[in-house]
Amino acid sequence: MLTLQPGPLPAENTGGDSGGGDRFWSFIRPSEPPQPGVKDGKWPREPLDYFILEEIEKAGLLPTRHADRRSLVRRAYLDLHGLPPTTPQLQSFLEDQRPDAWQRLIDELLASPRYGERWGRHWLDVARYADSNGMDEDIVHPVAYRYRDYVIASFNDDKPFNRFIIEQLAGDLLPADNLEQKRTQTLGVGFLSVGPKMLACDDPDKMRRDIVDEQIDTTGRAFLGMTFGCARCHDHKFDPVSIEDYYGLAGIFLSTKTLTKYSVVAQFHQHDLSEEKHTQRRSKIADLEKHKADKATPGEEKKRIGEEIDRLRKDLPPAFEVMGVTEYPTKDAKVHLRGDYQTLGVLIPRRMPVAIAGKAQPKIPGDQSGRLQLANWIASPEHPLTARVIANRIWHWHFGRGIVTTPDNFGHLGQQPSHPSLLDHLARRLIASGWSIKHLHRAIMNSATYRQSLLADPVLKETDPENRLFARWKARRIESEVLRDSILFKSNRLDLTMGSSMLTEQSHKYVDRKKQAEYIKSMRRTIYLPVLRSSGYDGQKAFDFPDPAVITGRRNVSSVTPQALYLMNSELVHKSSRALAEILLGDTREAGNKDRASWLILHLLGREATTAERERGEIFAGAYGKDENSAAWAAFTRALFATNEFLYIQ
Amino acid sequence: MNLCQDRLPVPATRRAMLQQAGAGFGALALNAMLTGNGAAASKPGPTTARAKRVIFVFMHGGPSSVDLFDPKPLLKRDSGKPLPFKEPRIVSHKTGNLLPSPWKFAQHGESGAQVSELLPNIASIADDLCFIRSMHCSNSRHGGALLELHTGSDTFTRPAMGAWINYGLGSENDNLPGFITINPSGSHGGAGAWSPAFLPAKYGGTRISGSGANMKIPFIDSPITKREKQLQEIDLIKAFNRDHLATHGTDPELESRIASYELAFRMQMEVPGIQDISNEPAHIMKMYGADQAPTKSFAEQCLMARRFSEAGVRFVQITHRYWDSHSNLRKEHKKLSAEMDQPVAALITDLKQRGLLEDTIVLWGSEFGRTPTAQGNDGRDHNPHGFTMFMAGGGTKPGIQYGSTDDYGYYAQDKPVHFHDLHATILHLLGIDHEQLTYRYAGRDFRLTDVHGRVVNDIIS
Repeated sequence: MLTLQPGPLPAENTGGDSGGGDRFWSFIRPSEPPQPGVKDGKWPREPLDYFILEEIEKAGLLPTRHADRRSLVRRAYLDLHGLPPTTPQLQSFLEDQRPDAWQRLIDELLASPRYGERWGRHWLDVARYADSNGMDEDIVHPVAYRYRDYVIASFNDDKPFNRFIIEQLAGDLLPADNLEQKRTQTLGVGFLSVGPKMLACDDPDKMRRDIVDEQIDTTGRAFLGMTFGCARCHDHKFDPVSIEDYYGLAGIFLSTKTLTKYSVVAQFHQHDLSEEKHTQRRSKIADLEKHKADKATPGEEKKRIGEEIDRLRKDLPPAFEVMGVTEYPTKDAKVHLRGDYQTLGVLIPRRMPVAIAGKAQPKIPGDQSGRLQLANWIASPEHPLTARVIANRIWHWHFGRGIVTTPDNFGHLGQQPSHPSLLDHLARRLIASGWSIKHLHRAIMNSATYRQSLLADPVLKETDPENRLFARWKARRIESEVLRDSILFKSNRLDLTMGSSMLTEQSHKYVDRKKQAEYIKSMRRTIYLPVLRSSGYDGQKAFDFPDPAVITGRRNVSSVTPQALYLMNSELVHKSSRALAEILLGDTREAGNKDRASWLILHLLGREATTAERERGEIFAGAYGKDENSAAWAAFTRALFATNEFLYIQ
Repeated sequence: MNLCQDRLPVPATRRAMLQQAGAGFGALALNAMLTGNGAAASKPGPTTARAKRVIFVFMHGGPSSVDLFDPKPLLKRDSGKPLPFKEPRIVSHKTGNLLPSPWKFAQHGESGAQVSELLPNIASIADDLCFIRSMHCSNSRHGGALLELHTGSDTFTRPAMGAWINYGLGSENDNLPGFITINPSGSHGGAGAWSPAFLPAKYGGTRISGSGANMKIPFIDSPITKREKQLQEIDLIKAFNRDHLATHGTDPELESRIASYELAFRMQMEVPGIQDISNEPAHIMKMYGADQAPTKSFAEQCLMARRFSEAGVRFVQITHRYWDSHSNLRKEHKKLSAEMDQPVAALITDLKQRGLLEDTIVLWGSEFGRTPTAQGNDGRDHNPHGFTMFMAGGGTKPGIQYGSTDDYGYYAQDKPVHFHDLHATILHLLGIDHEQLTYRYAGRDFRLTDVHGRVVNDIIS
């Protein structure tokens, strides 16, 4: 079970000594480590394998042999698409005898839009994405879905990750050649706006500062693995982040507009990025309506104006709105003593945290918030944390365990990397590739490390139960979305339409929670179901869908009774199992029950059935009456959905 | 387990051992230890558990203390005059002059607790209750105050009190969720009020909504009507999983999943029985008011709370709403009181008769109270600065009225008790030192009480 495992506190706080040679590891820029020497020179397939093998050999152990091709192809599909392969997809890989069949498969999977839906969802966990505010007032985020779709597209397009960072912090401030580009870039700053906010607060100053705090905390942890939020009230107790550093950042976000209205119930800012001609039409309509409403306007003219308005309204698309922050009159912040904004200390200019940036501060012009400078500073190849943090996230999402097992915390209270040189190697490789996430996927998946089998030596499993050495493949449970999508997909019910929103509420309206029952009945991929903070989907929550109000670089993986209830009793499972039983019976009209068992096992688990399983199928179906064939095979299907083999990536 | 046993049996398992230890020391982060989750950087506190479980009777919206439990004669004398001292810097609405309570108060029981005529049944058990008349919190809006009451924070997403308690103490009955919330409010915090936030998901609340027989734990009903058919299905799952383990070797996570289907099946068998209040004897139904309007709906919730609690659910919350009488105070408070009074009094009496009240904390209260000043001529605004809550059982001192508000009932004056103090006290009664129950997340060790909280020793018997 994956659980938080905090490391021991360092004996003394060695951070913050920006001039000395004993800086904390994550504050030192990664350099390309030399390739370690290993005994078994034949094992590595990628440079990264040397770093893994070195540690395995040091522990006096051996890596695990290659997984069989069937397991590998299933692993790759579930990992990159969040969907198991179809039988033809499986067969085509098994039959591909070319030496680079595996590389070709990875390329093919990375080129599919299913990839962005899977890996975009990983990022949405970090971005604490939701379609509603939650907190005290659960107001809808009616166009937040555009940010979600932007994230999916960014992964599919392999947008350089440094660019992705800059757009999410300051995309609204980047120059654009055309409207399309302007829209895409601005969509990024949804990242700063989709956080949870207290919207009904009688103290607007507190509200503003809490929003800023949430933005600082999320930005710090998402991109840098730094918990800046701790320095709101006092110098960070464990990391060299001072209260002054915090308020240097606070000035940047206080000079950024997130809300347009602070009184109860507050409203968030949305950019109107409609086409110019449509904006003009809308303003003309507004003028005409004003004129029409005027008592002085004669009746006949009113009629004419009404017709004119109708004409202008025809084919007028709704305004293209984008949820996201914008610039505000700039303002430096004073230190809030003990975090209290009514007890102010010294004024801190807007700046990057001195502990990391040192004295080489980017210049922030007086009329700019500093967001753009912050974004560029974070996204710089010189930054000691940024590339490491994302490389570690990618590794974590592939293996279920990070090189740093606290992916949102690279500070003193985070874990030390198990393979520091490997992490540096991956970070450098990412930067050298032009910040290509797909490049990193290829490197990782092509490695001997990734291709190891689940079937490991018992001694190894006992010595390293958590797989700290990555000397084997450790089974990991599929996520809540992968489970739902896979069940729908395998019963031929999944609707692969991409994008858009199911919400119908207008801006600044409350969520209609009754509609959730409808949303969950949709056959769309789970990433497209509205994420409502005040009320999740029971089945999703049971399988550890994270609280969308907090950033989650590592989901909990639990094995609790509500999961069993969901697999035994939910409507999704029952409907899908019935649908699949019908397909099975239609496909195997002439066949006996043994062959039906084989068909289902191949279809759902991607392998041939054993003799014992074929007999099991015969006995199980035989226990049902003659006219209960559908019920029998639906039940058999449900049992397979609930097996560890279906639920784990292995 | 009986806390008063002289000799404890030799623990059969690690879990049993820890549970025994828990009885003595406050089973701090018992679950964390059991799951190998080292995140609770905590050591057993020195306190002795007085209670094992909590029933939280939540009044959503803010009932008016000066109309229910905290009579203020000066309101009558100065009716229509301005409040003779400053209002708080931050208020949710502007209010006018002083508005006396339209209802009569009398003293009840040996303790002489003051209770309004709106609540005759609660008045009749006043000697069992521990009133805190000096509650206060920091937020003047429903959402903020509600989250503060439930999670300790009106600023960020934090685990709910029930989640912390389950994390700390673990389950008394593995066949049931440890934290159940019946008909919670979807607004003003929604899932935030029963969220595990960063704690492992299993400690979060399970929501049961609907009414009467339709109140259900998600997915508890099987579409398969024949039990033996479902058992065959579970056997089939087990057969596949056993084969898989045999070829792939042991793995604790995979093994625990095998057991989870049987557990789920047992839960499926057990829960409907607990939820089915129709087998309660007529005199109990009558006592709660489950036999007639207007008490029926809340009586069913109260009954279910008792039944879940009895079956070992650590934290049960029920919700009654909506007390937000900005206007129509006379009509609304009368109606709401009539719905809630009898069921709540019956719940406490019933627990007492069954010997359960001894180690069950019943907490009654809201996110805030209401101002002694008027909105319009028949309403009151939110007042987080001074209001009444009451507790019963679980080691609280019966028949006392702790603390007080000023002469007009605006501010908590004598011995103020903040939500943080309430949380600290509840944890203390459960044998948990609130400073020791921590979870490491985002670079620091979080607590229900953050950096605050003080155990109110004077309300502990």
